[in-house]
Amino acid sequence: MAAGKPDKSELDKGRKKRAFKKNLVAYSFIAPNFIGFAVFTLVPITFAFLLAFLEWDGNNPVKFVGLENFKALVKDKFFIASLKNTIIYSIGTVPLTLVSSLGLALILNREIKGRAFFRTLGFFPYVASLVAVTSVWTMFFHSSKGPVNAVLYYVFRVPKENLPNWFTGSLVLLMLILFSVWRFMGYYMVMFLAGLQTIPRELYEAGTIDGANAWQRFRFITLPGLRPTTFLVSVMLTINCFKIYDIAVMLAGGSTNTLSVSSMVLVYYIYQNAFNFWKLGYSSAVAMVLFVLVLAVTLIQFKGQSKYANE
Amino acid sequence: MRRKILVLLLCISMAAAMFAGCSPQGGSQTPTPTTPPSGGSTQTSEDKVTLKWALWDYESTPYWGALIEEYKKVKPNVTIEYTDLGSTDYMTVLAAELSGSGSEFDVVTIKDVPGYATLVQKNTLEPLDSYIKAAGIDLSQYGGITDQVTVDGKLYELPFRSDFWVIFYNKDIFDRAGVEYPTNDMTFEEYDALARRVTDTTFGSEVYGAHYHTWRSAVQLFGILDGKHSILDSDYSFFEPYYEMVLNQMRDGVAMSYTDVSTEGLHYSAAFANGNVAMLNMGSWFIATLISSLERGDYDPELCGNWGIVKYPHAEGVEPGSTLGTITGLSVTAVSKNKQEAFEFVKWVSGPEGAAVMARTGNFPALSTEEVKSIIASLDGFPKDEQSKEALEVSNLYLEVPYAPNVSEINAILDTYHKMIMSGEISIKDGIAAMNEEVAKLK
Amino acid sequence: MNSVKAMRILSKSILYLLLAIMTVLMILPFLWMLSSSVKLDREVFNMNPFVWIPEKPRWQNYVDIWTKVPFFKYVQNTVFLTIVVTCLQILTSSFAAYAFAKLDFKFKDRLFFAYIATIAMPWQVYMVPQFLMMRSFGLNDRLLAIICLQAFSAFGVFLMRQFYLSIPDSLCEAARIDGMSEYGIYARIMLPLSKPAIATLTIFTFVATWNDYLGPLIYLKSQDKKTIQLGLKMFINQYSSEYGLIMAGSVMSLIPVIIVFLCLQKYFVEGIASTGIKG
Repeated sequence: MAAGKPDKSELDKGRKKRAFKKNLVAYSFIAPNFIGFAVFTLVPITFAFLLAFLEWDGNNPVKFVGLENFKALVKDKFFIASLKNTIIYSIGTVPLTLVSSLGLALILNREIKGRAFFRTLGFFPYVASLVAVTSVWTMFFHSSKGPVNAVLYYVFRVPKENLPNWFTGSLVLLMLILFSVWRFMGYYMVMFLAGLQTIPRELYEAGTIDGANAWQRFRFITLPGLRPTTFLVSVMLTINCFKIYDIAVMLAGGSTNTLSVSSMVLVYYIYQNAFNFWKLGYSSAVAMVLFVLVLAVTLIQFKGQSKYANE
Repeated sequence: MRRKILVLLLCISMAAAMFAGCSPQGGSQTPTPTTPPSGGSTQTSEDKVTLKWALWDYESTPYWGALIEEYKKVKPNVTIEYTDLGSTDYMTVLAAELSGSGSEFDVVTIKDVPGYATLVQKNTLEPLDSYIKAAGIDLSQYGGITDQVTVDGKLYELPFRSDFWVIFYNKDIFDRAGVEYPTNDMTFEEYDALARRVTDTTFGSEVYGAHYHTWRSAVQLFGILDGKHSILDSDYSFFEPYYEMVLNQMRDGVAMSYTDVSTEGLHYSAAFANGNVAMLNMGSWFIATLISSLERGDYDPELCGNWGIVKYPHAEGVEPGSTLGTITGLSVTAVSKNKQEAFEFVKWVSGPEGAAVMARTGNFPALSTEEVKSIIASLDGFPKDEQSKEALEVSNLYLEVPYAPNVSEINAILDTYHKMIMSGEISIKDGIAAMNEEVAKLK
Repeated sequence: MNSVKAMRILSKSILYLLLAIMTVLMILPFLWMLSSSVKLDREVFNMNPFVWIPEKPRWQNYVDIWTKVPFFKYVQNTVFLTIVVTCLQILTSSFAAYAFAKLDFKFKDRLFFAYIATIAMPWQVYMVPQFLMMRSFGLNDRLLAIICLQAFSAFGVFLMRQFYLSIPDSLCEAARIDGMSEYGIYARIMLPLSKPAIATLTIFTFVATWNDYLGPLIYLKSQDKKTIQLGLKMFINQYSSEYGLIMAGSVMSLIPVIIVFLCLQKYFVEGIASTGIKG
């Protein structure tokens, strides 16, 4: 990032001209993507920002309501429940997925037999259709017929009436966390695998010659080399966790796709307000909270990353 | 400098978005997307009219095509082009499509009342009263259902399909258990006792006396049948005895537990088709499904081929035949350029000719006459006993969800706590208290 | 010496044990899908007794998905969308990411921040304004709408930038001194070096477009423009949900994704040292 700072001894004019040309070249790189991005994403998002201060049903004229939407949030039981659930879920999912996907990538980066097969297998839960994989999970943890409860009953002698209902109450978040780790492990594994390829092999060879053991090689070569990837993975992981929606609906929504207070998540509430109640302003206010939350976490990660980068 | 340009650019595009969102002209010049099956000419001459109609599940629902075919014979100059928005998210997609007045639809199908409420409040539908008056339609022929969806004295839809809830039962199970069939005149106590008598809890060969689908209508709404309550009341304590009855049945193995049904996503049709459910309370639409699935061989006739229907049970001292209803209606959009022609189509579909088409395909038209009932009762595969035929007589029809401005929110609150009560996360009393509290906040 | 050997054998067996557990965990849903795809609707959730292969496997499901809905048309549309979106995404993202990773320019941080910030915004929030805007552009019910929505994602830029960051700056510097233009450096040095990253982005974009549901749902309404995912949803209709058909469709739609993954995963095998450039 620090590459090519303009030379201070240069003439001011020439410097400006060169800086201008440099900017122009850079913008020409960004333009093709940025134009599409700005028109199709940035503009509607900016509008969504404004929506948080408006009352709008999508058709009738907009009405400015100031901070009313945000004031209503504080008293909203469902909002608070969904905020709490989302945070708990993210705290549980992010570290677990990070560690397991890195582990998986390290294993599958070694030269083992059937590597391509195992990699595909690891990626499988992510590409398989959600309907299919959630139905497997619900059967697995089925309260009266599922194999998990059967083990609890026959092996651990848990009485029948005490067998857990995995998809209700406080257990449902645990279910969501486990499922997400399982589903997304392979996805982030792919990122880590790609990241691992950018670490020059010579570094490992040099490390081995210097007598570094496996742990030292991991700690002093792999981890620093993976830093940009780790940043990417942790940011994407955090964002995606906070945006959990369809998994919750498919896994905990049952046949009516309704989430109860114990499983409601922010995006579900956003969706409900937007498309069932058509309170677009209010749903945008909920999204603002989500947005600020995610941004705060991302900024912390950003700070952490640049601190390490300067080490 | 560049920053200013950027800001300027942003402002312009924002304005464009706002314009598209709020202005009545926004997007009216959008190119016409072609829709199957008959793309091509749109309004080439004065008398040729193309109407765009929004509906769902065209392939699997026989009456859409039949209605379009029949109407072509009546009005050859009118072409009906349908757009299939799918049933899963139909009302969401439709409401998005009708936002901001850029839509091309002339006629839209209304799937449920919350969706209807949304569209009415968004001012996207045309009030039909003046048209109805001009055409001289007698609304009383719809048996009072139109009153339940009238908004501030205005009606925005005409129903063409009306379903009511009955009890489906499996005769073979009753025969095997040596228990007499349910009747058209049962109190809830009798119904509960009957369900318990036919139940068999032997492990591995369970027979359930009753089955309740996960919808809240299947349990809560027993409570509105006395005509004294509705889900728009803000006191829901009248749900309590019915929650108790059903939860006790589930506890005793008379019905499958809610959590099991819900986590499996067990469809009521699959539950009934498995042949271990003696009674199922469900809407009359299931009649057509049962008949056609048995005919196609999707359901095993050995398991569920011998079925019948009876009227809904009733509370002590209430006339039998009171039941829950759901209507499907047609509306004309506020942005349609052919409102009169669109209304003509709506009128035809919801009138006697449309009703005949509906009945022929095994569905219940909103315009219910003796003739319609005999058409359905004489369908191949409809149970032959007198009771089943009588069960089609409805004395009072209460809409599952009548119109109210915030009915979507009420619906969502009731759904949420229904789920929590049924899965045992919360006690019946606490759940009802929470419903009362949250619904009261809406007002 | 013996203990080292024993350690090695032990670690190898732990490794394979882990892989075996993983295999079971990962392959189970696939088998479930296969098994359900030849079952009748009511058999899918039958657990007692549970059978992997039903007595009368219903191969008809695989015929039905092609005939009950115009599945072939859906496949065509999905393939078209996926290929166009993936190509555009790779091109524009890798191009823009080069500037963010290796060039210095005004507003760089702010622009990049704008990119990341938009990823954090759930799509449901700006879906309606976006739809109204797109429709006023005349993009309602056009495949082009989905291309516009998906091809310029912020995620692609973010991903490519992070990979470019880990390629040493000294490589670019050297090329600059040799008089190579920035475009030349991008095309001749960065692109070849970022094969794993491009493979990753290709896979992700491919999967995302292939499996996208909500976007096509809002934008594509005519029968001849629908995608596979919309088609699969048609088997969950108002009066029943045909799980057998959904599973059969899922199995079919999985095949191309798996093929793409298998073809591209070989780019995750060589460190950059093997390309002959020393850092």
